[in-house]
Amino acid sequence: MGDFFSNLALGFGIALTPMNLGYALVGCLVGTLIGVLPGIGPIATVAMLLPITFHLEPVSGLIMLAGIFYGAQYGGSTTAILVNLPGETSSVVTCIDGHQMARQGRAGAALAIAALGSFFAGCFSTALIAMFSPPLAIVGQSFGAPEYFSLLVLGLVAAVVLAHGSVIKAIAMVVLGLLLGLVGTDGNTGAQRFSFDIIILSDGIGFVPLAVGVFGLGEIIANLMAPEQQRTIVQEKISRLWPTMQDFRQAWPAVLRGTALGSILGVLPGGGATLSSFASYVLEKKVARDPSRFGKGAIEGVAGPESANNAGAQTSFIPMLTLGIPGNAVMALMIGALTIHGIQPGPQVMTERPDLFWGMVASMWIGNLMLVIINLPLIGIWVQLLKVPYRLLNLAILLFCAIGVYTVNNSAFEIMLTALFGVLGYVFMKLECEPAPMLLGFILGPLMEENLRRAMRIASGDPMIFIQRPISLGLLIATVLLLLIVALPAIRSKREEAFQEN
Amino acid sequence: MQPFTLRVLARKDVLAGLIFIAVAVFGLWASRNYPIGTALRMSTGYVPRLLCWILLGLGVVIMANGLRATGERAAFAGAQHWRALIFVPGSLLVFAFAMDRLGVVIATVLLVIVGSIAGRELRLLEVVGAAVVLVVLTLVIFIWGLELPIPVWPER
Repeated sequence: MGDFFSNLALGFGIALTPMNLGYALVGCLVGTLIGVLPGIGPIATVAMLLPITFHLEPVSGLIMLAGIFYGAQYGGSTTAILVNLPGETSSVVTCIDGHQMARQGRAGAALAIAALGSFFAGCFSTALIAMFSPPLAIVGQSFGAPEYFSLLVLGLVAAVVLAHGSVIKAIAMVVLGLLLGLVGTDGNTGAQRFSFDIIILSDGIGFVPLAVGVFGLGEIIANLMAPEQQRTIVQEKISRLWPTMQDFRQAWPAVLRGTALGSILGVLPGGGATLSSFASYVLEKKVARDPSRFGKGAIEGVAGPESANNAGAQTSFIPMLTLGIPGNAVMALMIGALTIHGIQPGPQVMTERPDLFWGMVASMWIGNLMLVIINLPLIGIWVQLLKVPYRLLNLAILLFCAIGVYTVNNSAFEIMLTALFGVLGYVFMKLECEPAPMLLGFILGPLMEENLRRAMRIASGDPMIFIQRPISLGLLIATVLLLLIVALPAIRSKREEAFQEN
Repeated sequence: MQPFTLRVLARKDVLAGLIFIAVAVFGLWASRNYPIGTALRMSTGYVPRLLCWILLGLGVVIMANGLRATGERAAFAGAQHWRALIFVPGSLLVFAFAMDRLGVVIATVLLVIVGSIAGRELRLLEVVGAAVVLVVLTLVIFIWGLELPIPVWPER
């Protein structure tokens, strides 16, 4: 327990320097700014703003990036409540009751409960990260190549199972991502693979063009091509921000349930914000005394999912920070950012760079506090922003994507690659192939190949090593179980139901 | 009966399956000369070719699912405004070509012009306004603020 406090003290010492506080604030502001825009979720926001953070110190860059992520998450909720357009999948359920509340003139209460619930969830899950990361990292450090390979397999499969849409398409996307990750120089033999004599490709496909293209640009194309959507911004002035006593009484048990559920689901590979908020909405409806209130402005329908998605978003940092395994696309972006800063993600980060690790953990709590402060009094500004026509906003976003990608390597070729991946991202979106598993495959591909080769060398080419080592065997059994579970028809229909709540 | 083949081809799963098959076949062709090695000493081609074969199999299954499916699930049903698919990536390409030689100011203006063709309504005054505002923002944030080493004006 003494460690717990001294670690946090170290973290706050770093996160509370004026410079890092500034970056956290800028990150939260910019994240909210872009997250508020309908149709642009946290993944796209983080992808687009990634390059800007590369020019900072690693700690500051990651603090800012984390701020951008929470900001985008909060911004999405604001849009969901006021405009009834979810900016992100994890806000889809917030739309249902949040927008109804807004139309009944209770927009202020909905926004305040969303912010306060998220803040509570953020505090709780930050403490969880601080408590559970060190023991997990110790487990991680005892892993050899076979264990690590099996863990990567489990992570990828779990991410696929818990993603929405068709499982087999998600697996195909992972394989595609793994293949894209192989482009360039083979680390073991020095030979060129799939680089077609293009010099820039011998370093591999850039992580930034892929992420910005598929997530950022793909969403812009999809938004512009979709039929005009009715934007019905709630026009009444938000007069009462503070919820009534009755609101609080109804909301707080939902906040507690949402926080608990989100904290657990966030740690699972493939979990995170989206799964948490859907699951929480279903739970709230189940435990409610009068489920018919849902869909008509029930405050629990906002409080639960909003707390859950923030808790889930936070605890999904645990496997990323301690094992180097991203559970969802945003964490994959974080891994990419770490790598570009020259930090090899994995269990050693905590011991080799305690400043970075604990600084980031502390900044999470600070970021959450800032967001409550930013969001509630400044809500009027964000509402104004929603009135700027999209045709102008998209130009600004396009430009920042282009400049951002260019500045990573001063390479015009990477902008072209971004354009290509943008088209690809749009096509995949339309074909219901989730791009997130592809990004996970892309990030984990080289790691997997490396560990597979090492494991094979340890075992003199005998693939049985993966089932002879107990930990590796356990991880693989878990993988097979997961796959079997999705294959069962009863669970499959349940899974589809869970992802189609509206 | 409608023209059968085209409508079946436009189904989401069929199209997705075809894309995966195409990528896998292309990958197998491109890696035809990569040494494979053995499981003990995997060489350059081992993992890529393995993945291509897996992708090929998955693609076939996905396509078969699509062919068997009864419900019509056309891929690009709701899409309108096809201009965006050309001019959004197009604006990035123009920016990329202009960046190295003409500098960020001219590249920004070009991006705004091409990018606004992608939108639905084109209003001249708005485009000019957007260009001016964005050039100023770019200069303030990226050149003076972050001091990024990128070309600002055309090289002489």
